[in-house]
This record gives sequence, structure tokens and C-alpha cells, in this order.
Amino acid sequence: MRQRKLEIYSVEHHAATDIKKKEGRDGKKDNDLELKRNQQKEELKKELDLDDHKLSNKELETKYGTDIIRGLSSTRAAELLAQNGPNALTPPKQTPEIIKFLKQMVGGFSILLWVGAVLCWIAFGIQYVSNPSASLDSVYLGTVLAVVVILTGIFAYYQEAKSTNIMASFCKMIPQQAVVIRDSEKKVIPAEQLVVGDIVEIKGGDQIPADIRLLSAQGCKVDNSSLTGESEPQSRSSEFTHENPLETKNITFYSTTCLEGTATGMVINTGDRTIIGRIASLASGVGNEKTPIAIEIEHFVHIVAGVAVSVGILFFIIAVCMKYHVLDAIIFLIAIIVANVPEGLLATVTVALSLTAKRMAKKNCLVKNLEAVETLGSTSIICSDKTGTLTQNRMTVAHLWFDNQIFVADTSEDNLNQGFDQSSGTWTSLSKIIALCNRAEFKPGEESVPIMKRVVVGDASETALLKFSEVILGDVMEIRKRNHKVVEIPFNSTNKFQLSIHQTEDPNDKRFLLVMKGAPERILEKCSTIMINGKEQPLDKSMAQAFHTAYMELGGLGERVLGFCHFYLPADEFPETYSFDSESMNFPTSNLCFVGLLSMIDPPRSTVPDAVTKCRSAGIKVIMVTGDHPITAKAIAKSVGIISANSETVEDIAKRCNIAVEQVNKRDAKAAVVTGMELKDMSPEQLDELLANYPEIVFARTSPQQKLIIVEGCQRQDAVVAVTGDGVNDSPALKKADIGGAMGITGSDAAKNAADMILLDDNFSSIVTGVEEGRLIFDNLKKTIAYTLTKNIAELCPFLIYIILGLPLPIGTITLLFIDLGTDIIPSIALAYEKAESDIMNRKPRHKKKDRLVNQQLAVYSYLHIGLMQALGAFLVYFTVYAQQGFRPTSLFHLRIAWDSDHLNDLEDNYGQEWTSYQRQYLEWTGYTAFFVGIMVQQIADLIIRKTRKNSIFKQGLFRNKVIWVGIASQIIVALLLSYGLGSITALNFTMLKAQYWFVAVPHAILIWVYDEMRKLFIRLYPGSWWDKNMYY
Amino acid sequence: MTKKEKKSFNQSLAEWKRFIYNPTSGEFLGRTAKSWGLMVFPKPLSALEYTFSASDPSSYRGYIEDLRKFLKPYTLEEQKNLTVCPDGILSEQKGPVYVACQFPIFLLQACSGMSDPDFGYSQGSPCVLVKMNRIIGLKPEGTPRIECIPKDENVASISTYPNNGIIDLKYFPYYGKKLHVGYLQPLVAAQVIFSANSTKKEVTVECKIDGSPNLKNQDDRDKFLGRVAFKIIARA
Repeated sequence: MRQRKLEIYSVEHHAATDIKKKEGRDGKKDNDLELKRNQQKEELKKELDLDDHKLSNKELETKYGTDIIRGLSSTRAAELLAQNGPNALTPPKQTPEIIKFLKQMVGGFSILLWVGAVLCWIAFGIQYVSNPSASLDSVYLGTVLAVVVILTGIFAYYQEAKSTNIMASFCKMIPQQAVVIRDSEKKVIPAEQLVVGDIVEIKGGDQIPADIRLLSAQGCKVDNSSLTGESEPQSRSSEFTHENPLETKNITFYSTTCLEGTATGMVINTGDRTIIGRIASLASGVGNEKTPIAIEIEHFVHIVAGVAVSVGILFFIIAVCMKYHVLDAIIFLIAIIVANVPEGLLATVTVALSLTAKRMAKKNCLVKNLEAVETLGSTSIICSDKTGTLTQNRMTVAHLWFDNQIFVADTSEDNLNQGFDQSSGTWTSLSKIIALCNRAEFKPGEESVPIMKRVVVGDASETALLKFSEVILGDVMEIRKRNHKVVEIPFNSTNKFQLSIHQTEDPNDKRFLLVMKGAPERILEKCSTIMINGKEQPLDKSMAQAFHTAYMELGGLGERVLGFCHFYLPADEFPETYSFDSESMNFPTSNLCFVGLLSMIDPPRSTVPDAVTKCRSAGIKVIMVTGDHPITAKAIAKSVGIISANSETVEDIAKRCNIAVEQVNKRDAKAAVVTGMELKDMSPEQLDELLANYPEIVFARTSPQQKLIIVEGCQRQDAVVAVTGDGVNDSPALKKADIGGAMGITGSDAAKNAADMILLDDNFSSIVTGVEEGRLIFDNLKKTIAYTLTKNIAELCPFLIYIILGLPLPIGTITLLFIDLGTDIIPSIALAYEKAESDIMNRKPRHKKKDRLVNQQLAVYSYLHIGLMQALGAFLVYFTVYAQQGFRPTSLFHLRIAWDSDHLNDLEDNYGQEWTSYQRQYLEWTGYTAFFVGIMVQQIADLIIRKTRKNSIFKQGLFRNKVIWVGIASQIIVALLLSYGLGSITALNFTMLKAQYWFVAVPHAILIWVYDEMRKLFIRLYPGSWWDKNMYY
Repeated sequence: MTKKEKKSFNQSLAEWKRFIYNPTSGEFLGRTAKSWGLMVFPKPLSALEYTFSASDPSSYRGYIEDLRKFLKPYTLEEQKNLTVCPDGILSEQKGPVYVACQFPIFLLQACSGMSDPDFGYSQGSPCVLVKMNRIIGLKPEGTPRIECIPKDENVASISTYPNNGIIDLKYFPYYGKKLHVGYLQPLVAAQVIFSANSTKKEVTVECKIDGSPNLKNQDDRDKFLGRVAFKIIARA
């Protein structure tokens, strides 16, 4: 035991140097970070230099200026508190709200729009200087642009804040209390106020309030799993047992739990200076990577901004060359930028993500950072912790061996189906031993609670045995009452057995019953007979052999095996009045009767194997990373399918072929179990090779730093890595991962802080639903973006044609903002509700560098196919309106100068009618409205075709997604409101459009639909063809 | 779109007419802004300002040429094919041939250019022609006339021709360039006569349509709707 722990410890040391080596190789780009990390490493080492465990009580008193009996004085404590700060982990640094807000104000397209707004104002300023009665149009536009940026900024900020608040409320913990001796008095104070030198008392069930050097202890056991990942209880006493502070028994660590017993100790480290505090700060040193969706959106913003600015500048130059006034050219530039930038899109994306986040939260996946919603979908490797995530995190009886036969017990969550053969007399005896030789007890008052959910006082194995017997035998406490216990020897690590002697429930049988359980080999040593089918038989060589086979087999399953034996004390030697003494052991402890073996394991959750299979088919590699033993890890990996039934490790092959491990061809093995020890000797290249070559990998006995190394290794393979974990030791890896998922129930605060996501039910399969939602939202965002980008061409063309061909302006800048931020908003959100086209869990995860959110196909198809068709349709409406009013299309070309001239108040049209300047202006606005309506009508078709990318709309179902129809209704209602409701507000440039103009673009809309159905049809008919490659986005 | 299609399109639209109501103007299909705009001649280059000096012919030569050009279709010779229509009633026609009514130029009297080829400019009493924008189908009610008022009556007075600035209904409605060949829109001339005792020779004149309840002359946004304002500056 001690030997093994030493290994873990040394592993951590080497891991630290590994990181350093790697960083050195990575170059000096991040010197500060490296320096910071190195400092942390140094501090970690300093911690290890701690010698408090070696000091005697007297020396400790001197060192910390305290008194073991009287404790610190309150004044001294207050001084120390002021000096060292409260005993709490510093929460990770929060970005100030104002910075978050400003970031929203300048992020994405905002900068571009700000520039546009400022240019507008400057242009007006110049116009105003030369002509004080200059039109206020550019002031309106500038103001509208500024309002748009501010509103979308506020909106995005609000969305972020809302999801952060959910987290904040979730993370609030009940303040912890500690029993401390100060001024010779026992006091209960908040654990935050503990200082170094305080004498504290701990009892079973408490969280250890600080790093504590124990001064005295009675049967104290602690759960170090959050620190080391081991689920076995570790006993603690006041003795100095190991040079290494992490190993010695007389130190307990902050945030671990005391399972049973009591202890008194002296606080030697508080807050961030505790060992857990140091690991937690290691996590905050790990940089926050950009989420894949953030990268995708940035990529998209770059594309669009690039197009906007270059088209804008190109036409600015053209306009200047065409002898336009520079101020006009600037206004064109702004208009082109505004037309190109999908102002509402980023807000839409935020809403879509938060909708998905809500949906995921309902499925027990609480996402802290909205962008992380999609990350889960692009995940290609999941590094899962074992305990609590894959397993139920409680010991459960898995197998029994009696009558020379192995029986399987039910390990599912409710455990009620114990179907093995219980008719044998051996089972009767065995069950009695299990029930009686057990100190665990149910917490009273929970009789109505299902057995498996009841709280038990006792360690994990005893709890398992108690629940097991309660399920099979019924009221165990009652059985114990009937079989009164006269003496007991609790389990200790030297004896490795537990024994008790009982009166029997049979009033005619005056014999005492001795029952014993413990390490199988120790129990066997004490036996001379064995019970088979209820009959005692001599324990001969063949029986001993059978025992060993069974023991090895169960041990090989990674299960913890216990042996059980009993002995009826002869009534003549041990009369009813006999006084048993546990100290002198005045009763026989040899030549007992061996009854059976029982093995326990922390069993996998029943939903996990299915979830792992789903991950497999979704192309996601599941890697187990645990602090637990390789055998247990491998057994669990096999039972949940992380190592599939027919794959073998190198060791398995060697064993099967009976050859040395070195002789095995490594390529033959699909699975690998790698321990921390082996990992520490690996170079990053070897790790890469390991990760690349084995589809099924289990890492066992790993340290926190090694988890980090594994995650980094996976990321070097271009994988998007999800990590799950609950312990403080997991937090650096959680932070480093592309998406870290902490356990909601068992997870430590540090883990939750470092994670991007919290699995509320601690269940691995929640991740799978998360992956599904994440993939769906990626697909749907593609649709949203394609939908939104399409109309950009229809918005852009009017300006280009206005500049080049001199038509009266077909659509105003403010009008098109009403498309981007009015009619298009709800429809683009509605696409987030679209169901998947096919089973998205049957395809590979997207390659984060190849499968972009916005690819060339999407841009080309949206801009040049549908976009151009839309532009044509909108122009059709525009020309119809002008023609009906008297201006034939041909007469409109190069009419601009006359049209825009304020002094020309009798411009003649094709019918011989004459128009004043204002009448033309009004007609121009009618044109804007018509163009706007034209785009709106075709966007309805665009919305419908975007429901699918490959399948026919009719296969997807037109009415399955009701929100789409809400979107379409909203488009029409907003347009009606703008035209008829706000048609009289000059600044908005809308007029009341005649009813018939609303229908001019309808045939075009239908054409768009038909065209897209054709596209999808050919994609389906000719997969892999030129068409498929270029038309599928 | 071919002509034929357009026609049928128009026909189907005509069906719409009966029940499509335009809430803005309370009118049915057709040109939305069914109101006269007024415009003046000579055509000003930028602002509506006429500056001239009676003693310097070159200062008003441009104006005179512009007026002559504008009045060319109104010469008797050009009008000889047009119909003489009865006064005071609308000339509503059913087609297929639409006739245009004569607008005898002598109606403009002193501003006709017949008696005074300089349109009063050489005498310091310049003529400005006021014209109604052509609008298809517009039928004025009542007795429309153009009334021109100087801003400051002490500086100048205005004579309008035809007398009272009357616009005869016989010129309406207009049936469009294609059908209504040779159509001449009625004109009103305003002659500015500066007072002899006024030293200031600068006046702003506002002309507007009056006497017809369905023709607006007041619109906040359109400064030419049923009215026009111009400025005359006569230098020494």
C-alpha cells in the first residue's frame, strides 16, 4: 500500500518536469505564463518540503505559537486572520462587468458599424458647414447604426449575464463550520475564519476545514478521492509514518472528508496555501482556449467584414472616379458596409445558443459558457474520469463464491433483482455472516426511502454489504438485535480482518456464533474446513485450489474481494456467562469454517454502456483517465465498452499466446491500459503515437498534471477534447480541455469553477445528449447563417447599381436595417428549432479545421445563387412600382442626377406626367418599401428551403417545426406594420404600399423553392459528384 | 415584358381598382401623388431667383430665350390642328382618338411675347409663367385659378393673365402622352410691376392654386404642391 502511494507521488514530480520540458520546446511566445507556472511548480515543491508531520507536539506549539490544550487566543487568531486572509480558496478572477459590456460593444461587426456611424456624422458635419440646411438623412443613419450596435451589445451582454447568473446561484454553497479550541474554550466558527495554529476537532462526516496535522485520532478515516481519485477510505492517526507529507498518516487535507472516527489537529495551512488551493491555482494558470464556435464565428465575421470593406472601398474608388462628390462616395461606402453586415446575426446566434443551452440544462447538462454549447458537438475525444462519472460511485456487491461456484449479483442502480440461487444452506450461513459481521448502520428515520438511497454510517464496503443484505434478508437491524453481539474486533490494517461474536437467535442453541470477514487469504489461513451445500467439509488441497482460482478470477475483474468464515463456539467451553475480551482474544481464531467469498465493485451506471456505444457510432473516442488501479480501471472500461469485448491489450495478447510482452506486435492490439508510471517515461511523441494508434485507451493511476498532459496530447491531434471529472485534482484538465464537464452532485467547487459545463446528474450519458444538441446547433447555425447571408446580395445590389447605372435608389440604408433587425430576426432564430435531417449521431465529429461553419459552398450558394435570384425578384417589384407610376425601367437608367435634383420640380415621366421633387422622393420611398417587401417575400421561401440542406422539405415536414411558421408570420406582420403603421414617419422612409405589390415577388419565391429542391435532389441522386461537392454546404 | 402582356396586366390591375383603396390619399389605383405641382418659367438654374437689369439686355437674354422656347408649342401655327373646346367644362373623352384643346397664346396678353418680345424684362416688369404639372386623369373641381401675391405689396404688384389667373376646365383631364397627342397644358403668366415710389426692387412672389376644393396648395413637405414661390431682383 505504502509502496504504491510512493509511486503516485514520484509520478507527480516527473509530470511537472515534463510540462516544463514541453514548454521550453514550445518557444518563448508565452514566457510570462511559463514563468507563472514554474513559480507554481516551485510552490508545489515547497509544500512538499513541509516538515510539520515530523515535528513533535512541543515543536509544533513553538512553531505556530499556539497551545495544544488551550488553543490560540482570540486576539492572536484575529491578528493572524488579518495577516493571512480568510481560509477560503480565492475564486477565479472575474472580468469586471464593464469590460464584459464594452467587449460586446466592440466585438464582431460592431467596430465596422461604429466606423460607419462616425463616418455618417462626419459627412453630415462637412455638409452642414457648407450648407446649413443639409438633409438630416446621414445623421439619422449614423444614429440608427449607433443604436443598433448598442442594442445588440446590450442584448448579447444580457444573454451572457443571464447564463452566468444561473451558474452563480448554482455554485453558492452553505458556509462550512468548524469546531475550534480558542481561549481554552470549544467554539463553533465559520471555517473561513480558521487560522494557522488553530486547534480543531473533526468527526465523521465533516469536511476537513484546512490542512491539518493530527495530534490525536480515534478510528479516523478520510476520503481523499477528490485529491487522489482513490475511492478507498484512508485511515489517519497522529503517528508520523512517512517522510512525504502527502503519504504520512498524521496530515489531512483541506476539502477532503472525514468518513468516520474523530480527531484533533492543528491547522498548518489555510486557504490558497493548502495543497488543494495550490492545485486549484494551477487550474487558473491554464489558459482559456477559444471555443470552436467562437473561432468559427470569428472566421465568418472576417469573411463578411472582408467582403464588406473591400466591396465598399472598391466602389468608393469607382464612385470617386465617376466624379461623384467625395461625401456622397463616403455615404455609398457606409451603405455598402451596412448592406453587407448582417447586423442581427450575432444576436441571433446568441439566442440560438442560449435556446440550446436551455434545452441541454433540461437534459441535465448545464452549460456555463454559451459558446461551449456547440463545443460539445464538435467533440472528438472524451477523456472521462471513472469514479462517479462512469460508475455509480458506491461499492456494490457484484459476485459471490460459495459451494465452489461463482454467483452474479445485480449491480444496477436499484439493485433489487438478486436472482442468484439462494436455496443452499451455505448461503444461509453466508448471509448471516454478512449481516452480523458489519458495523455499518442505516441512519434512523429513513425507513420509507428506497434501500439504495438511504444514508448509511460506515465505510464504503460495509455500506455495500449492509444494503446487499437488507435487500435480500429484510430488516438487518432486527436480525442484529435477535443475534445479540457480545464482542467485536473492528477491522484494522494489521489484522486485515473483522470479527464479532453473537448469541444466536435460536433460543434452543446456546452456542455463540463467531463471524469473521477480511482479506480472503487471511481468512483462508484461519480455516480448516469449508462449507459446501450447507455441510462442513475438510479444507483439502483441491478446495484451496478452487478458492484461489475464484479469488484470482474475481480479483481480475477489478473487484475488491472479501472472505467470510464462521465458527460455532462449543457451548461447554463457552457458556452463556462467558466473558469475552477483545484485547486478549480469549476465543479461538483458527480452525474456523470457510463459507464463501464476496466481491464488490463500484459498478458502472446502467446508462453508460449505451452512451459509450453512441459515442463510438458518433466517431467519438472515449478515453478513461482515472487515479484508480489499472485492473479496476480496465474492468470498468470493459464493462462499459470503452474497451470493447473483442479487443485486447498488448498484455492480453502476450498472455493468450504465452509470449513475452515485448514480442507482441503492437499493431495487433486495439486497446491499451497505460499507468501513470508508464506515462511519466513517455516523450510527447510517444504519447502522440499512443493516442493516434490505439482506439481504446485507459489511463490509470494518473496524477492531476498527467491528466493535463493527456488532454494536451489529444489536442495536439487536432481533436476537440471534452474532459469530465469531479475532483479538485481534475480541475487543471477541466480547464485545459476544450470543454470541461464537472459533476453537479459530487463535484468539488474547484472542478465546477474550472469547468464549462456541469452534469447535473453526474451521468456520463448526459454528455451524449449534449453532443447531440451541440451537433444539431452547429447544423442549424449553418442554416441560420445561410438564410441571413442570402439577402445581403439583394441588399447590396441596389447600391452598386445606383452608383454604376444611376437608377433612383432602390432601397435605403435605414430600410435594409429593418430587414436585418426586423423581419429576419425571428425566422433566423426559428431555424434553431429545426430537427436533425438524419441521425447526426451516426457521423464523424466535424474536423475543426476542415468543416467550417461558413464554407465556400455556403457563401457561393447563398450569395450567388439564391442571393442573386432574390436581388432579381426584388428589382422586379421595384421596376413594377416605377412602371406603374409612370417610369419605365429603361427610362430609369442614368436618371439619377435629374431625379435627385431638388430644383427640378417638373420631371416628366414616360406618360407625360410631371413630378415635383418631393413627389419623386415619395415614389422613391415607395420603391424602398416595394424592394423591402420583395426581399421579405423571397426570404419566406429562403426560410423554408433552409430547413434542410440535403433532404427534401417534404421529407423533413413543412409543419413539424412550428416556430418556422411563427417566423413567417412575424415577417409578414412586421412588414405590414412598417408599411401601414409607420408609413407616415418620414425618417423611416416607409410608405403605404398598395396591396398588389406585395404579390409581385411571389413567383420568384416559388422559383427559389423549386430551384433549391432541384439542388437537393441532385445532391441525393449523385453523392460525391461535382454537384454534391459544390452545392452542398 | 411585352406591350400586350403589360396591357393585360394593366387590365387585371384595373379590376383591383374597384376594391383596392389607397388609405393615404383616399384615392384609387394610379399615380399616388395625384396633386398638381406648380413650376415656373423661365426655368431657374438652382434657386428660384430671377436677377436682371432692365438696362442690360444680356442680363435677361437667357430668360427670354427660355420663355420663347417654352412657348413655341403654343404659337398659333403649332396649334392649328388642335380643337377649339367649349369653355368651362371638362373635356372628358372616351377615345380611341383623343383631341387636345387649343390654348391661344394671346390669353397671356402682355406676357404672350407677341406684343412685347422681351416679356416685360426691358421695362423692368418681368413676366414669369406658371405651369401646372401634367397628371393623368386629374379633374379639378370648382373654378381653379392661380393667385399670385407679392410678399410686400408696397414694393410690387402682380398682374396675372389670363385675367384672374383663371385655368379653364376644358384642358382636363389629361390622358397621357401617347393618347393625348398635342396636348397643351394651360398656363398662367404673372407680371411683376414694381411700384414707382419703391426704391427697393426686390420681391418674393408666391403663386398658388385656389378655387378648387380637390387641389391642395398647402403641404408641409412638398413646397411645390399647388404652389410655387420665386424671387425677382431688378437691379438698376
